[in-house]
Amino acid sequence: MTSIVRAEGLVKRYDRTLAVAGLDLDIAEGEIFGLVGPNGAGKTTTLRILATLLEPTSGDAEIAGWSVRRNPNEVRRVLGFMPDAFGVYDDMRVWEYLDFFGRCYGLPAASRKRIIGDLLELVDLADKRDTYVQGLSRGMQQRLCLAHALVHDPKVLLLDEPASGLDPRARVELRELLRELRSLGKTIVISSHILPELEELCTSVAIVDRGRVLASGRVADIEQRLRVGAVLRARVLAEGEALEAARDWFAAQPDVAAAAILPDGIVELGFRGDEAGAAALLGTAVASGLAIASFSRAASDLEELFLQVTGQDEPVAVSA
Amino acid sequence: MTGATLRRRLPRLAMPGITAIGVKELRGRMRGKRAFVSVTVYVLLVAGFAWMVGRILEDTVRNNFAWDPTYSSASIGRGIFIALMFLQTLMISVLAPASTAGTISSEREKQTLDLLAVTPISSVAIVVGKLLSALTWVFVLILASIPVSALVFVYGGVAPDDVVRGYLMLLITAIGFGAMGTFFSALVRRSGAATGLTFVAVLVATVGLSFIWVFMRATSDGAFTKRPPEALFYLNPFVAQVDVACGAENNTGSWCYIIDEITGSGVNFIPQAQPAPAFDGGKGGVIVAPDGQAVAPGVGVRDFVAADVLAIQRDRYWPRSALTLLLLAVGFTTAAVQLVTPTRRWRPQLPGFLRRSRSPRGLRRGSLRVFGRGPGAAAQ
Repeated sequence: MTSIVRAEGLVKRYDRTLAVAGLDLDIAEGEIFGLVGPNGAGKTTTLRILATLLEPTSGDAEIAGWSVRRNPNEVRRVLGFMPDAFGVYDDMRVWEYLDFFGRCYGLPAASRKRIIGDLLELVDLADKRDTYVQGLSRGMQQRLCLAHALVHDPKVLLLDEPASGLDPRARVELRELLRELRSLGKTIVISSHILPELEELCTSVAIVDRGRVLASGRVADIEQRLRVGAVLRARVLAEGEALEAARDWFAAQPDVAAAAILPDGIVELGFRGDEAGAAALLGTAVASGLAIASFSRAASDLEELFLQVTGQDEPVAVSA
Repeated sequence: MTGATLRRRLPRLAMPGITAIGVKELRGRMRGKRAFVSVTVYVLLVAGFAWMVGRILEDTVRNNFAWDPTYSSASIGRGIFIALMFLQTLMISVLAPASTAGTISSEREKQTLDLLAVTPISSVAIVVGKLLSALTWVFVLILASIPVSALVFVYGGVAPDDVVRGYLMLLITAIGFGAMGTFFSALVRRSGAATGLTFVAVLVATVGLSFIWVFMRATSDGAFTKRPPEALFYLNPFVAQVDVACGAENNTGSWCYIIDEITGSGVNFIPQAQPAPAFDGGKGGVIVAPDGQAVAPGVGVRDFVAADVLAIQRDRYWPRSALTLLLLAVGFTTAAVQLVTPTRRWRPQLPGFLRRSRSPRGLRRGSLRVFGRGPGAAAQ
């Protein structure tokens, strides 16, 4: 697949702070790409550089072949951007809001009308057409903001923390919307510090910390490369000593690094092997007479990855 | 961006951008009762003021010993016209900056400027579009007052071209001070601070510079030979209106003395006859000629009046003031465009000692923080 967003050696320095320190990105067309990192890792700065809102101190980035330094106007035409904190104009109706941005992109009047109708359908705001923008709920404003970024049918969408401040229902809706956009052929770049959210959605991620990409690629690939392994959870139908025996049995298996007992008869395993290895482990366990009610990967792999890669002691925020 | 690319892009992007911004801004400004009410209030105010000035002048003239219907009517007309121009200059000097000082800072406050900056419309279009639509509102006020000002034609004493001059100066005042407001709106983040700074700047441009002139004039040694530069008054639209008033008095009259004092361009004691109102006498007035002889009633006093008159060169001062205000507008607008451009090339650096004091202990952050995209704006 061809790459549509590329960044090479991006550096952004503010006075004495180095916000982005030589960041590289390579995002293929049609991906939903997650930029993960703790607060202050340089995610927003990176996205703002890609959106031509900031000039990099050094390095360059290309979007659909256009350089953000040399061809910012061309970049703006292929790009839709939704900042993390955005406002809405007072005194504007929903359709006027989209009409305004349609004019900004120089869309002719006839197609503007059709596009506004289509977009309002897409983001499920068709019945709010004549509502004043400030009267919309936060989730609706978020969807309207997303719609505004789509007015000119961009190839690439940059979304900075799109789910922050949304209730769970609105988040699910947003996720569905993003999947739909991907099926329409858009490349979507999302930044977030909420890991589970990205894990369900993203085809690839880059883990960013202190202005650098520490790891990037498909989640499974990163795992493979770092040989992080996975946390497996087996619910064993046993109690007391039988459960401890089961734990000891697991701990004795070759690819299992550690085993511990959790409440409800769950044995948690630190597993070094791949998925085939996990299947084999399950087979052996069943064959050796353990009554296993469930066997699955635990928690967020991305979260594990994240902690491993960034080497942080304190846990990363898992929800807003 | 090179000059060639700029030229190529400007027509392509500026016009649709200005239209887009203009449509959006005017939709907001002109929606509902607000626009209607503000225009109505403005016109009523101007009309009420004109009526009161008219009454005062009629009274004054009626009690004057040289009561003459033709001449008096003309002087009432001129008086109302001049008063209206001053009142409107005052109101425009307040309304124009007030309506532009929030245009860009409010986009920053509402966090909508980024949404605008990632569209292909240029910073020129953003700034000019906002300035023009804010000024459109002021222009509507100014234009709505024309019928009221036209009432002076009932009295006479003012030529249509005087009214054109006065209104031209009003429009230019709105452009100059409006651009000033836009600049401060782009410079500081908070609308409140931008408005405050704009009014300080307007005060400096009008009262401040004029006072410096007065000070220099009073303290200079050769008070009669050396005048401080008249340019100190160019940013003061009131003085330009004094020149317009002087023109309405056929360049001879009390307002002209002010312009003469400032510019020294008046010619005293012109020997040639100047057109002055004929005096038909017979109403109790006694005119004394220079030789002390009473002029017989019915004798024209044309030559007598002309002998002691001050004539100011017409259209010399106010066009300079207008040009200065327009240049100021261009300068401020250009600076505002620079400040709005997200990836601008030049960035004024604060001196080191000031930058250090921008820690929480030093300068209070936020209220007067210069530029939207400082380190704090996007540190993540």
